Amino acid sequence: MAARLSVARAARQLTSSAARRPATAYPVSCQRWQKAPIQSRLFTVSAQWEEKKYTEDHEWVELSADGKTATLGISTYAAKALGDIVFCELPQVGVEFSSGDAIGAVESVKSASDILTPISGEVVEVNSALEEVPGGINKDPEGEGWIAKIAVQAEPEGLMSAEEYKKHTEEA
Amino acid sequence: MAPSRGLLRLRQLSAASCRYGSIASGRRAASSFAQHLTNPSAKLQSYISRSRDPFLNLSIEDYVLRHSPPDSVVLFLYTNRPCVVIGRNQNPWLEVNLGILKVAPEQGSSFSNPELPAIGDVDLVRRRSGGGAVFHDEGNVNWSITCPRADFTRDKHAEMVVRALRRLGIERARVNERHDIVLDQGHERRTSDPSDTHRTAYTGDEGAQPRPLKVSGSAYKLTRGRALHHATTLLASPNLHIIPQYLHAPAKKFIEAKGVESVSSPVGNIGLENDIFQQRLQEEFATMYGARDTPPVVRTVGEAELDIPEIRKGYEELRTKEWLLSQTPQFRLKVDKSDLDGWSHELNVLLDINIHHGVIKSVDYSDFLYGTDREAQIRFALVGKKLQDIGDWHDFFRGREGTEALAECLTRWLPIPDTPGA
Repeated sequence: MAARLSVARAARQLTSSAARRPATAYPVSCQRWQKAPIQSRLFTVSAQWEEKKYTEDHEWVELSADGKTATLGISTYAAKALGDIVFCELPQVGVEFSSGDAIGAVESVKSASDILTPISGEVVEVNSALEEVPGGINKDPEGEGWIAKIAVQAEPEGLMSAEEYKKHTEEA
Repeated sequence: MAPSRGLLRLRQLSAASCRYGSIASGRRAASSFAQHLTNPSAKLQSYISRSRDPFLNLSIEDYVLRHSPPDSVVLFLYTNRPCVVIGRNQNPWLEVNLGILKVAPEQGSSFSNPELPAIGDVDLVRRRSGGGAVFHDEGNVNWSITCPRADFTRDKHAEMVVRALRRLGIERARVNERHDIVLDQGHERRTSDPSDTHRTAYTGDEGAQPRPLKVSGSAYKLTRGRALHHATTLLASPNLHIIPQYLHAPAKKFIEAKGVESVSSPVGNIGLENDIFQQRLQEEFATMYGARDTPPVVRTVGEAELDIPEIRKGYEELRTKEWLLSQTPQFRLKVDKSDLDGWSHELNVLLDINIHHGVIKSVDYSDFLYGTDREAQIRFALVGKKLQDIGDWHDFFRGREGTEALAECLTRWLPIPDTPGA
């Protein structure tokens, strides 16, 4: 299993870098040549990312339809456990984070909880509505209560599917 | 991944030197703390700080949160010199009487201003955890527990402290609905279950008088699978009568702020000596985690720990104006003419300033004496400025004619507090 995943990862890295290089150097002539790798890249990406993924620290990430950005938020389980969120510290747009970094924090019932990003990349958008209504996270943590969008550089590892995450929270 | 034999032996050696109290050099002591803290087999750990520096104690605590083994539970006790500690997402101008933090005690008792409650230098600290503003001094013991996030509840360690207090005869202590510890003040004794840490024989009905006195306030920080619960414990503060004055901000009625506002409660002293409480709590901690007969060695930490780069970094960060001021959530200071009743006629100003994370975003200012040109100049001078770069308002406006009223206004309601770091 692990071996297969790493092969797939290597293949993805190859195809994505191959796709990027000619795009700048030979924008026109390589278009046809480019097509196949892009398709295979989308296929492997969507196989990994067709559903929302979860972290051990109770964040969720979801890839956009074009595969360029990932939306990040905190899970319904976490939002319930934390209680009424009274303040949300959002990251700044344009700042680059590495996976595992705290990109923000929420405060609820005297607790400041770090929001950790499982993906590296630049923050391209934040949910500014949360500055006015931090409780929006409690209302719809995995929808309207999203926290930030990040430009995806590489696929994250070690994330859980919804089912695996459910199991993880039941064990805890 | 098992640590190498050599490393293991080193750990045992440093643990031994600690236990027998040999005086190691600062560097060795520091590294022995880091080594013991991160030892994966040290599931139950207990520390006490000999430092009274709030910036250092909070930084050691943050290091414990980030570096202790994922499945360990760590008790850390410390007492700070007089300071006001605000929560991560609080506004100092809304929570603290900034004007009296640096007033010398002799000034405080002078005839010219007998009301001034000052007790000398009081540090202002923004902690990394949530919650509200609290006053610390030598009669207050702070306890903190770092544990796995999966085991964390907001009450379980407050309950542990209540058990410790009751063992010391403080039978009115209980955990309240805000996860704080209070002493019930009821006159009538009813029957109660002594093992119920949320109710005492003196617990009245909700809203009943006299109100319970708060003796311990909690705050929490959650990160990377770990949870920190820290709290104050007012044992014998000599400053109880003036705490409310430190936590009363003159600008409060002029400020609209995002972020977290404190809930103020009447406070009381428990009336125990620090040493006795600390020792009892260490025992209760060991009992709670099944180590009553083999309690963890209590290790002492202090200034030597500044040799650990992460602790030094956290310490320097907490001491900066950037952390104290720029972490302040968006707020607005709005002063109307009617608020200036009783001021001299020169103070004919209207002021409305918006500040985002310590940067002045907009200024609405009218000055009836000097007119719109002056107003535009003032706006231009202020918008985009970081509060931390301003320092003293009178100095900032020096040389600009007719700004005395504004400088006075801002000094009173938006003073820029001093920090030990730049």
